[in-house]
Amino acid sequence: MFRLALKNILFYKGRSITTFALTFISAMLFIVYVSMMDGSHKSMLENTLKIYTGAIEIYHKDYRDIGGNEYLIKDVTSITNKLTQIQGVKAYTARYETYGLLSTKESSAASMIAGIEPEQERVISSLATALREGEFLSNESQNCLYGGAGLIEKLKLQLGDEVAFVGAASDNSFAADIFKVCGIFKTGSFEFDLSSSFVSRNYFDKLMMAQNKASYITIKVDDLENVDAINEQIVAVLNDVELESLTWKTLMKTMVEAMEVDSIFGYISLSLFLVVIFFVIMIYGFINVSTRIKEFGVLRCIGFSNAHIFSLLFYEIFILSSLALLLAAPIAGYICYYYSVHPIVIEGIADMYKDYGIVSDEIPFNFDILTLSWNLALIYLLNFLSILYPYFYINSFKPIEATKHV
Amino acid sequence: MFKLILKMAWKNSFARPARTLLLIIMIAVSMSMMLGIEGLYDGMVLNMADKSKRSDSGEISIFAKEYRINRDLKQRIADAKTIQKELQMMEGVRSVVLRVSADGLASTARKSSFAQIRGVNLQEEESFGKFSDFLQEGEINFSKRGAFVGVELAKTLKLKVGSKVIFSTQDSSGEISSMVLKVAAIVQTTNIVLDTSTLFVDIKKVQKFLGLKEREATQIAIRTESEQLYETLKKKYPTLDVKSFFELQPMIEMMEEMMVIFNSITFFIVMSVVFVGIFGVMYVSVLDRIREFGIMLSIGMQYKQIRLQIYLEAMFIGLFGFVSGGIIGLFLLIYLRDYGLDFSAFADALQSWGYETIIYGTIKFSYFSTTFFAIMSASLLSVIIPLRKIKKLNPIEVIKADK
Repeated sequence: MFRLALKNILFYKGRSITTFALTFISAMLFIVYVSMMDGSHKSMLENTLKIYTGAIEIYHKDYRDIGGNEYLIKDVTSITNKLTQIQGVKAYTARYETYGLLSTKESSAASMIAGIEPEQERVISSLATALREGEFLSNESQNCLYGGAGLIEKLKLQLGDEVAFVGAASDNSFAADIFKVCGIFKTGSFEFDLSSSFVSRNYFDKLMMAQNKASYITIKVDDLENVDAINEQIVAVLNDVELESLTWKTLMKTMVEAMEVDSIFGYISLSLFLVVIFFVIMIYGFINVSTRIKEFGVLRCIGFSNAHIFSLLFYEIFILSSLALLLAAPIAGYICYYYSVHPIVIEGIADMYKDYGIVSDEIPFNFDILTLSWNLALIYLLNFLSILYPYFYINSFKPIEATKHV
Repeated sequence: MFKLILKMAWKNSFARPARTLLLIIMIAVSMSMMLGIEGLYDGMVLNMADKSKRSDSGEISIFAKEYRINRDLKQRIADAKTIQKELQMMEGVRSVVLRVSADGLASTARKSSFAQIRGVNLQEEESFGKFSDFLQEGEINFSKRGAFVGVELAKTLKLKVGSKVIFSTQDSSGEISSMVLKVAAIVQTTNIVLDTSTLFVDIKKVQKFLGLKEREATQIAIRTESEQLYETLKKKYPTLDVKSFFELQPMIEMMEEMMVIFNSITFFIVMSVVFVGIFGVMYVSVLDRIREFGIMLSIGMQYKQIRLQIYLEAMFIGLFGFVSGGIIGLFLLIYLRDYGLDFSAFADALQSWGYETIIYGTIKFSYFSTTFFAIMSASLLSVIIPLRKIKKLNPIEVIKADK
């Protein structure tokens, strides 16, 4: 049967070339499109995680939903001591975040001001590497402010300038101080750079009466893929109903959802191409069998069953699809791999879409064997489905009737 | 003679009904899907642009020079009220509103966030962009200390209708001032900046709070259909910063351009594949009847008459495909326009990106006209090669030819 199918493929060249070409094009289009879509989503998530948000964060229950100083973590040291026992935790740090007004004589701006542990932050976030001017904080830094480029520009400040801070301390008392701009950073995240500033915890804790307190503890893990398993261990080790440990999937739920929506639209667009190509492959298959009705009639007369006819059609489409996919898979795979290592750069795209949290002009592709495999499997499936109608069409003829078909 | 050719073409178009039907279904399905996708994507961007104009910039906005760079109250329009009156008298101007905005900090007892206070005149905003359409919860009414909060800011600060919020900022004299507000309504404008950070308050209260005079404003927004107004205003107010909608919202312009490019590429690819499908059917259809054409040539029919018949056959199939696809596509577009696609399950994500949870499509005549030309062209082009095959053969050979 296989040899007969092969002969038919070589004989009906027009149909074979068209099916081969369309299968090749649809596979290439599908694989590259999905790779680009997944790659850009993954990159957005990774960039956001790299900048500031941790893979796992520990909060006092209700801090995120209700907020307020009564929901701060009260005993940071005992929690961080427990974290050292957990495998897969690469680093952790406690942050104390508050919102306040930063003012100069000329202007003022609201800012998130966070007390951070500079040495730990060097490992966990990209705050230190985002330095543009001046210097990053150290554990010994006093009233040094490390501000986002947008915020510093908004306040018309320069390195060494002083800025007044007004806010509320952890005991709800009034807190005010004068900070000196020691460093300016630019992460590329428009909103973050426009609204964030940092002070060393050793100094900030005294000002905010926040010793051994934290808004949350952020954790970097060895492998993001294991984040759920590590989080389960953390929950078990903490064993405290007052605390909640959340992975980035919950922390960045909105972003994850947004990407799902974007993927839905991507697949809607792709489905159009695949449906049209499916129809054309089916039409060519149908034309092909409709010109071979006599041949099928003869085959049935000499003892071929319906199953044999189906096998013949199946082998024909299997050979054509396999050849096309064997060619498409390495080419498309190489394109995906190449652009995952050397992302496409569209100058200005980050600036244009800054409101959407895009921080880089690079659009990397995603090279993933599993994704590539299911993309190929789907094209296979569509091609196999395309022989169903032609098969039923042939079967609608009785053997003798088919042999006399003109 | 033409009548006869027309009749023959009509009958031959459906001589192999299964094949023709399959082709018509292919054209109809691909066309209706394409129309649906075009309408949905265009609808998303148009809706965003429309709401951005209505809630913020209008077709043209005027600022004091440097205001957009520094967002400093020092850079305000001193005689905004006079300019508003002048603009209202101008031809082509539909509506003009004044706004006063300042950045600061919004705080509740438990949460704080960066925010912008925006002084607006509700009556004027209603005629400018039907502000009441943006209402999600509460009542569009600035009662005593009343404020409307953008939907994302409300989420950040965990605000509900009736919640109290304090807004602090530096006033025009450089002093830090605070004002207590009560949330009267939560609004969704689908303008990311407004939804994530804005507190809408009565303009007079904001002017008083910021130490501004009643005639002063930070923005004058204009609704107009006039294409020339932008240039006129640029000349009329050289000391001010006159900006068109796309200058203020380059992202939307880029989105529109990208949508045109995306739709064009999609259109080209789909039509190319459709062409391949029609070509296959027409080619086989001609080859099947090659003896028939030979006989027609032998009995005195001219090649150009056969050519006309085949062109007409291709046109009939294309036309049927177009009409079927057009009807299905139109119903799909009407559904998308009237009911939209409900993405409530992804509400948070869509709102954070400035989209509504139900995404509505739009209908443009150009969708149908361009598709019509594309399908008819694909149909007619698809028979060129089969016709060349007939042209090369002489009648005797054709009659003798074995299928």
